[in-house]
Amino acid sequence: MSKILLVEDDEVMPKIIARILPPPEYEVDIAVNGKEAIQKLEANHYQYDLLITDIMMPYANGFEILSKVKSHEREKPIPVIIVSNAGNEDMIMEGFKLGVDDFLKKPIIPAELVIRVKRLLMRNK
Amino acid sequence: MNSVQEILSAFYDSAIFVYGLTLIVVYGVLAVLSIIAIRRYLNATRPSQLENLMSSPLAPGISILAPAYNEGLTIIANVRSLLTLNYPKYEIVLINDGSTDDSLEQLINEFDMVAVDFAYHEKIRSKPVRAIYKSRNQAYSNLLVIDKVNGKSKADAVNAGINAAAFDYFVCTDVDCVLHKDTLLELIKPVMQEGGKRVIAIGATLRIANSSEFDEGVMTRMRPPRALLPRFQEVEYIRSFVLGKMGWSAINCVPNVSGGLGLFDREIVIKSGGYDHKSFGEDMELLTRMCGFCEDNKIPYSVRYIPKTLCWTEGPSSLKVFGRQRTRWARGLAQLMYAHKSIFLRPRYGRLGLVVFPYNFFFELLAPVIEASGIIIYLWLGLTGNVNWPYAILLLIFVYTYAIMISTLSILWDQLSFHYYKSVKEVLSLLIMPFLEFLLYHPLITFYSLKGYLFFLTNRRSSWGNMQRQGFRKAKTTT
Amino acid sequence: METTLSDILQDIRSIYYYAPLAIKVAIIFIIVAVSATVLAYLVMLRSRYRNYRQQRRMARMLPKIDELLMNEIIANPNIPHDVAPSKVALDLEPFDELPLHKRWGREMLTERIIHYRNNVSGTAGDLLRNLYLQLDLDKDAMRKLKSRHWNKKVEALNEFTLMDMPIADVTILPLANSRNRELRAAARQAYIKLSKNEPFKFFDSVTDPLLPWDQVELYRIITTTTDIAIPNFARWITYSSNKSVVSFCMKLVVHYNQLAAVPAIIKLLENRDHTLRAEAIEALGRLKIAEVEDRLVHLYTSQPLFCQIAILKALGRIRSGRHIDFLRNEFLHSTDFDLRKAAARAIVKNEIMAREVIDELLATTTGENLLILKHCMNPLIKY
Repeated sequence: MSKILLVEDDEVMPKIIARILPPPEYEVDIAVNGKEAIQKLEANHYQYDLLITDIMMPYANGFEILSKVKSHEREKPIPVIIVSNAGNEDMIMEGFKLGVDDFLKKPIIPAELVIRVKRLLMRNK
Repeated sequence: MNSVQEILSAFYDSAIFVYGLTLIVVYGVLAVLSIIAIRRYLNATRPSQLENLMSSPLAPGISILAPAYNEGLTIIANVRSLLTLNYPKYEIVLINDGSTDDSLEQLINEFDMVAVDFAYHEKIRSKPVRAIYKSRNQAYSNLLVIDKVNGKSKADAVNAGINAAAFDYFVCTDVDCVLHKDTLLELIKPVMQEGGKRVIAIGATLRIANSSEFDEGVMTRMRPPRALLPRFQEVEYIRSFVLGKMGWSAINCVPNVSGGLGLFDREIVIKSGGYDHKSFGEDMELLTRMCGFCEDNKIPYSVRYIPKTLCWTEGPSSLKVFGRQRTRWARGLAQLMYAHKSIFLRPRYGRLGLVVFPYNFFFELLAPVIEASGIIIYLWLGLTGNVNWPYAILLLIFVYTYAIMISTLSILWDQLSFHYYKSVKEVLSLLIMPFLEFLLYHPLITFYSLKGYLFFLTNRRSSWGNMQRQGFRKAKTTT
Repeated sequence: METTLSDILQDIRSIYYYAPLAIKVAIIFIIVAVSATVLAYLVMLRSRYRNYRQQRRMARMLPKIDELLMNEIIANPNIPHDVAPSKVALDLEPFDELPLHKRWGREMLTERIIHYRNNVSGTAGDLLRNLYLQLDLDKDAMRKLKSRHWNKKVEALNEFTLMDMPIADVTILPLANSRNRELRAAARQAYIKLSKNEPFKFFDSVTDPLLPWDQVELYRIITTTTDIAIPNFARWITYSSNKSVVSFCMKLVVHYNQLAAVPAIIKLLENRDHTLRAEAIEALGRLKIAEVEDRLVHLYTSQPLFCQIAILKALGRIRSGRHIDFLRNEFLHSTDFDLRKAAARAIVKNEIMAREVIDELLATTTGENLLILKHCMNPLIKY
């Protein structure tokens, strides 16, 4: 089972993602803003297999979470997918500088997200 | 003796009546204009618009300028909330105006900042800049901290920020103000929608934050202030922004973009010379000069307002601090009117000289003087038995009911457009204020205004009493 | 003595009759003010009640809608994979539990479908659109389109644009030239998105400026619609007399990296309009057209300040390294701060070829110029 942290302040997206990544194969933990995301990361000692995050959110934006995750000491950093509608070039570049593994622009194609999630999880096995 | 009284009576019967009637008509017209402007705004607003701008490479860059003086209590939370605003291309320029507390150390530690060699170019004069800091963490790459020598005024601090800002537009705010997360999107939208004219400044509704709930610089629950004095201010702000500024915005005659939140055209600001650090009302003073500059250079310009509340600021809750604030504002107004008297009624200055200035002179500056003198003369006439009491009382009722109507209408406009507050009870707690305002709040404002004018005339030095902040503490532990 | 209501009214009438003008006016205003205040209270109560009712309905309906959309559309295993999503016959029966006979019920579902489509595309997106059609939700928007009120029309156009609903050109084109700005803009977006023949046709005829805001919305629609035929924008860059159209087309040329349109942009360097010229320079820089560098350097001295800055920026973007001496000269000898900064930035962007020059400058310059150079070289400073 893969444990995924999803950070998203829209109410519909988590429902969709929870449905297309169903248990028992996946366990999707949802945080609705940056603060909650950081709390969850710390409470679970960064024991997630994957992080899916938006960029613009209250309290802490996606880049901040990303830099926290990537700077956390683990033998392998958690792979990160950004799912956002804010896809201007500067932001994508900024994301990659911070070490993001994949960038999906909203609206997403559900099947595509599933494949990318699988690939990243495989790579990090 | 008798003839003097007769003349005075006649004067107050006619001249003051005309004055009052004009004021009342102006307010009536503003009420109508404001609802037109608000409807126009709402009609042109769709939820998807902001999302579109959010993801667009065509969004113009914006610099946020936030001056801070000894705000150590809240500075980290407030910078964090600025870092999470929705906008694709912006920077935060935080100006530490020679704080004597540990604000700067807090910033350096929290955001991993280092001093950098920054090519700071002084386009507007300000007190010297000691150092400029940037974060080593890529996640905070749009944060810039300027450490400068205290200039004893917000104006001086913002000027330094303008010099360091990278973009063509800047938003000026106070670091203790809490902004709505869509502030930048909302403010730039009307600028991009304006055809033909150049929008040189734009503001939005401000509200009193005192009883609302905030969590680390994010507004979580909007509530009218419970204490009486801040609640009066809330109603006053709604009236002044939703009805007043929106009404003026409809005919492009906005007199002032509040210092709490405003977006400005950087080029025009620089060419107009930036903020004046000697002014007591630096926001209005700058806007006046910007409009004057545009008129002088034949630049077709506009100044706009939007009705949505984007900024919450803490209103003074003690009479002492409140009095100091209002005295200062009044002094600023008197100073401004005097310094720019050449604009007054000059056709060359277009709407600025023919509408904005005369209105502010007659109905903002003179109003407290006329009111106070009116009361004194009435008392005198009353003591000497020359008042027709039924008529006097009737006139008083007239002013009273009209004032209530205007305030109630402004609350109505606000409610119709945005349904702020959770319960009807909360709205009612605001609606009773207009009934009390005339008796309790208004006399206070008149008194402090006169005091401000007196200070202006005697050119008294004032201590810059920094407003005592209660600070937006972290949300009370959730139950 | 008994006073009746009519006596009181009579008294008031007589007071009013004998009162001076000021008092008459005052009495009238009192009546107006009191009734307006009362009316305001009533309107406010009504509006709050309506809002409350709407909130309650949403709280009740949305979970149901979400459940249905999820089970029937997004994660329905029974949907055949071998049929095109727009042809699938959906099982509509479960949707009967929603109050779709009421307009607010249909509106709520439509809004939610649009919300979902903002989040998912592909097959799921097509299925959502299919559902919208099969439930006849488009009828409401159709009716709105015929409304007399322009804002209703705008709502309808937006809904059609978001739902990708074809509308006949004859319906949209008149609206695209409407006198109302909002309506005009919405119709143009709908036209680009939905017209099957020539989506860019209105570029030929548009005479009013495309405001920056309109450009944002059009840009988004053009660049996100997948099956749109991209024309050669040189056509408008060369022939359009509308500056905003020319400027907008240049942005599109950059986005699509449309090299065929480059000669048309180069011609704009002779244009008399400074802003347009600066935009042309910027576009050439973004497209990295190394062949125009000589031309730009040649033009430089005769340009106003912001065009000069545009030229320096373009040289930085093109990064051919052939004009480092020119940049160095500007950096060292220009009197304007912004020009020196732009020149320094361009040199730094040419770093690979300009390594020696940068070292030399670092060693020889002092004061403000050295600061500018360090500023531009610091990776922590973005702008």
